[in-house]
Amino acid sequence: MSIQFKLSGATFREIIIDLQRPHRFAAERVGFVSARLGSLTGNGKLILATRFHPIPDDNYIDDPDVGARINSEAIIGAMHAVYHGRSMREGIFHVHLHQHGGEPRPSKTDWREIPKMMPGFQAVGHEAAHGMILLSADHAAAWVWLPGKAEPTIADSVSVIGIPIRVFERRALP
Amino acid sequence: MSSDRYSRQSFLGPNSQDVISRCTIAVVGLGGGGSHVIQQLAHVGFQRYVIYDYDVVEESNLNRLVGATLSDSLAHTPKLHLAKMTIFGLQPEARVNGFSCKWQEKPEPLRECQVVIGCLDCYKAREELEIACRRYLIHYIDIGMDVHGKDRPVIGGQVIVSSPGSLCMKCMGFLTEEALAREAARYGNAGTRPQVIWPNGVLASTAVGLALDLVTNWTRSDRPYAWLVYNGSDHTVRESHTLRNRQTTSCPHFSNADAGDPVFKDL
Repeated sequence: MSIQFKLSGATFREIIIDLQRPHRFAAERVGFVSARLGSLTGNGKLILATRFHPIPDDNYIDDPDVGARINSEAIIGAMHAVYHGRSMREGIFHVHLHQHGGEPRPSKTDWREIPKMMPGFQAVGHEAAHGMILLSADHAAAWVWLPGKAEPTIADSVSVIGIPIRVFERRALP
Repeated sequence: MSSDRYSRQSFLGPNSQDVISRCTIAVVGLGGGGSHVIQQLAHVGFQRYVIYDYDVVEESNLNRLVGATLSDSLAHTPKLHLAKMTIFGLQPEARVNGFSCKWQEKPEPLRECQVVIGCLDCYKAREELEIACRRYLIHYIDIGMDVHGKDRPVIGGQVIVSSPGSLCMKCMGFLTEEALAREAARYGNAGTRPQVIWPNGVLASTAVGLALDLVTNWTRSDRPYAWLVYNGSDHTVRESHTLRNRQTTSCPHFSNADAGDPVFKDL
């Protein structure tokens, strides 16, 4: 089954600008992106980003062991976004940026921490898709927890519909 | 494939062929305008296509349908078939999803696209295609031509770019309630309008140029909308005065809140 992720050039730019801002103590920034579902041929799914939710500066926790740790208020904010988007089957995606180039892969910390949020998101918005978007200097990838699924599916492509158009395809990710 | 093939268009950018080959582009309507568009997209190097046309070649098409021959009109060859032949003749590895129906009957493949070029002949059809493009985050390029007047005919036409988050065809003043109502009064029938090959060629070439700019941004224009007006009497293409005089760059008709499949909301 094909899963494709799309976001507008404006949303992509907003994400990049925010994630590249230095923080007082956090080594990196994270955020959330609301996204809706569209259907493709053969039960394929299209995930369409609708808006970016930056994390306020004071919602970061000072933890030198990780690049960024966010507090419960940030998670509650994401849960609120899922709650308000329930009727439109609007889910939420954690997003952050790796500084290197090439196809991004989740770090051990990413795998340990980010999937923990998904059951909560799914409990509030059970008809929506949720997940994680990883950006690198020149690529992007998305892991999608479809409705009712405990494990993610990697999106076949992440497209940025801006100028220029960018189409980041899944290459070596397992 | 020789690396020389695209050497004459390397000014589009260092990775431009890679980007062009990964982009999925749709052409809706493969008649006078669409046949030119397909030919140029294949020459430029597009590899992934979604194409729609349910019509067949008739004798009256031969004055403008690129690629059609007399035998196609006798055999009533589907226009879809002609388009595929053109693409595969230039790009044998291309992935072509072709549909001999209206796009509304098979809308899912269209949603995967990054760019849609509409070569339609009525306002309502343009409106519906633009709505779909906004809903599924797709750049939309519209082309069309018409001949006005009988005693001193004048050829007019347009190429429009409508991108998510920016001005739509209603904002630009092209798609008006009056035009839609006039057309609806004729039951959506555009009638048998005069059509000739050279304006279609100009409009299609301009559309392909704009599509290439969206894909590569080689001109660095960063402009997500355009309405270019073709005047067949003086053979010019100029920016629409109506658009130039618009004061706003934001669209009140579409928002991200409309993205994705429509869902029923509980009242």
